[in-house]
Amino acid sequence: MSWKKKNSACSLIPAVRGQYHRPNFQTLASFAVADDNFLYGVLLLVDKKRRKLDTATLKLIKLACLMLAGTIRQALRHDETKKRIAELSGLYEIGMATSATMELDALLERILSTAAKVINARGAILRIIDEQTGMPRVASEYGEVSETSACLLTSNLETAVVSGELPFVATTLPDHQGHLHSYLGVPLNFKGHLKGMLCVFDKMSETLEFQEFDAENRQLLFTMAGMISSSIENALTFRELETLAEKNERMVRVLTVLQEISWALMTTVRMEKILDIILNALTLESGLAYDRAVVLLVNEDRHVLKAVKGVFRKPSPPTLPLREALMVPVEVRTESEIEKLLSQLQITLQEDKGILARTVLQKKTFHIAQAEQDARVNQELRRAYDLQEFVSVPLIVKDQVTGVIVVDNQQSKRAIRDEDVQILNMFANQAVLAIENSRLYSTIEANNRELSLIRERMLESDRLAALSGLAQGMAHEIRNPLTSIGGFARRISKKVGKNSPLRHDVEVITQEVERLEKLLREVLDFSGVNLGYYEEHDLNQIIEDALTLIKRDLVASNIKVAKDFALLPNVHCDDRQIKQVFYNLFQNARQAMDKGGTLTIRTYPMEKSDGLYAAAAVSDTGGGIPLELLHNIFNPFFTTKEFGTGLGLSIAERIVSRHYGQIEIINELGKGVTFIVTLPIAKYCLIKSTEDQEAQT
Amino acid sequence: MKKILVADDEMSIRLLYSEELKDEGYEVLTAADGREALDIVEKNPLDLVILDIKMPEMSGIEVLRQIKEKNPNLPVLLSSAYSEYKQDFGTWASEEYLVKSSDLEDLKAAVKRHLQD
Repeated sequence: MSWKKKNSACSLIPAVRGQYHRPNFQTLASFAVADDNFLYGVLLLVDKKRRKLDTATLKLIKLACLMLAGTIRQALRHDETKKRIAELSGLYEIGMATSATMELDALLERILSTAAKVINARGAILRIIDEQTGMPRVASEYGEVSETSACLLTSNLETAVVSGELPFVATTLPDHQGHLHSYLGVPLNFKGHLKGMLCVFDKMSETLEFQEFDAENRQLLFTMAGMISSSIENALTFRELETLAEKNERMVRVLTVLQEISWALMTTVRMEKILDIILNALTLESGLAYDRAVVLLVNEDRHVLKAVKGVFRKPSPPTLPLREALMVPVEVRTESEIEKLLSQLQITLQEDKGILARTVLQKKTFHIAQAEQDARVNQELRRAYDLQEFVSVPLIVKDQVTGVIVVDNQQSKRAIRDEDVQILNMFANQAVLAIENSRLYSTIEANNRELSLIRERMLESDRLAALSGLAQGMAHEIRNPLTSIGGFARRISKKVGKNSPLRHDVEVITQEVERLEKLLREVLDFSGVNLGYYEEHDLNQIIEDALTLIKRDLVASNIKVAKDFALLPNVHCDDRQIKQVFYNLFQNARQAMDKGGTLTIRTYPMEKSDGLYAAAAVSDTGGGIPLELLHNIFNPFFTTKEFGTGLGLSIAERIVSRHYGQIEIINELGKGVTFIVTLPIAKYCLIKSTEDQEAQT
Repeated sequence: MKKILVADDEMSIRLLYSEELKDEGYEVLTAADGREALDIVEKNPLDLVILDIKMPEMSGIEVLRQIKEKNPNLPVLLSSAYSEYKQDFGTWASEEYLVKSSDLEDLKAAVKRHLQD
């Protein structure tokens, strides 16, 4: 309105002004250009001559003034309407923008560009602040905004939001380094709460000059802020919902995977299979998809954590559903250096031994983002296994850590999210139950085995006791008549002459009686072994004693004896029984070498997986045992000898096994046989019997 | 002539032992149970006694105990079908414990050994 008036005045006044100094007119008429409400201006009529305006002219001029006022009013209204239409169309565009999309980024871009365009600003900024963190939750910009300007605006906004003050309409900028000329900000209220601001900056004229923001701009921006805040809120909510839905979808997928894994774990109680399923689940593409996974178990006795099995990621078999893929046995490829190292991985359970030890001791999951920079990580292990980001999850059952699962993405470098760690924990809970089940099952199995072993031994000793009772009864009944039959036969044999035809017959009686008496001795000695009396003894001495018993027989059979005795720790045994073992072995060797030979006896200490043993090797040069007979030699009453009872080796074997020892046989056809007797040395033997007792209870 | 008592409930053993010992030049008396054996020991001056363990009326072990009570210097040999008692009685009171065998050489050697002392 004002500039229109100015323009019309400008065209007139200079001409008038120039003549004020020398007034050359005689007549001046002034008329108000006005309507009922408003004075628009004044109409001056000038004449050089002196004249008087008649009534008709005056009327005409007044009418013209009235019409002029009407025209001016129309023009002003037109301008006003044009502006309003521009504003309305701006608001319309904002309205269109707000309903155009639910996608937050696109929405904000449209809103900001429209706002800037409507107000003729160079650009616009929008910030929404998270009340809890005080940080911008949403930040969107349009037009060229320098970083310092954006920071300045943001910090102004944060102050305003945090202090709860209504923001600012600043038309001059406090800091001119920001390259902003002016800006206009209005609050964004969500549900009555101040949450952020909408800001436009640098209003430009059509000729690209900076202009100040005016009250109308401010009003317009307020209106816009009101319009957009709800749609922004909707879009925000929509985005959050979408994120939630995505998260839910991921969760559902993970739960499905976990369910499949759980199903697979329930199909078996075999530790080996369970470990395979766990490692498959961790590394399969359709499972949890880690690059590498290792299971370590705690050994309570030795306070160490030991790697049991590890695997590198492999692509899922394409046609196999997860459920079946989980069951495929894991083959540990040992060609890889790292996997070779894994088999030796053993960690002492102390806090300073690294993350894995801590996982056990603190019963806590560790997510290490940068192994190299983490002082808690065992750097030696890190180098050996090329660890970067990894997670170490404890397997906890009944508040006890039984093991640890370690996973990483060494090759793909895929980041591990907090959510993944949560899932790992859930998985670990399932895995540990399966492992525990398997452990319980194998304990039960071991106990069962132990029980049936004990039962077998009890049955055996029952049998032996029965045999013993029977044998003792028989001994008295049979030995007496045998003694007299044999005794009288010998008497007859002495009385008949050397050439008597009776002599041969009587000798048969004598021999047969001798055979029966020998059988009796062996049977009685066999049953007698029940009377065990265990003490610590020197195996070398026992062997010497046994050798003394048979020395005469050996000399008679032309058998040389070669001894090679090592110094041995004592064995825990019944020396009479062990003497019997070696006596029987020597007898056996003597009979194998009926045409003479060498009996070699060598003793030496021997380390087995379960402890230290004393070993004695008894070798003959009797040509060995024919293969078809080999499997029978420890069976009672099996004999190849004319005068054998077949009990010798069987007795030896039983005695040795009752001492927790073993008899091995090395048969070299054409050369001879070596029997190797191993007996646990005293210390380990005690441990064994304690273990037995524990297993029983 | 040295006088020996053979006590055994088995007639065939008594017969065998006495025949064999007579051949060796000894005088042999026999008893079929423990009580009879003690009677003979009391009534006859003897040089050696051979005792079976398992006998009716009185066991050889009891006979041995009573003999040694009265005649600690009379040598006594135990002769039994039970090899497993050797552990218990082998060194108890008797001079020797012999398991019965058709080969009487061990027995005769033992008799000879103890009669020389």
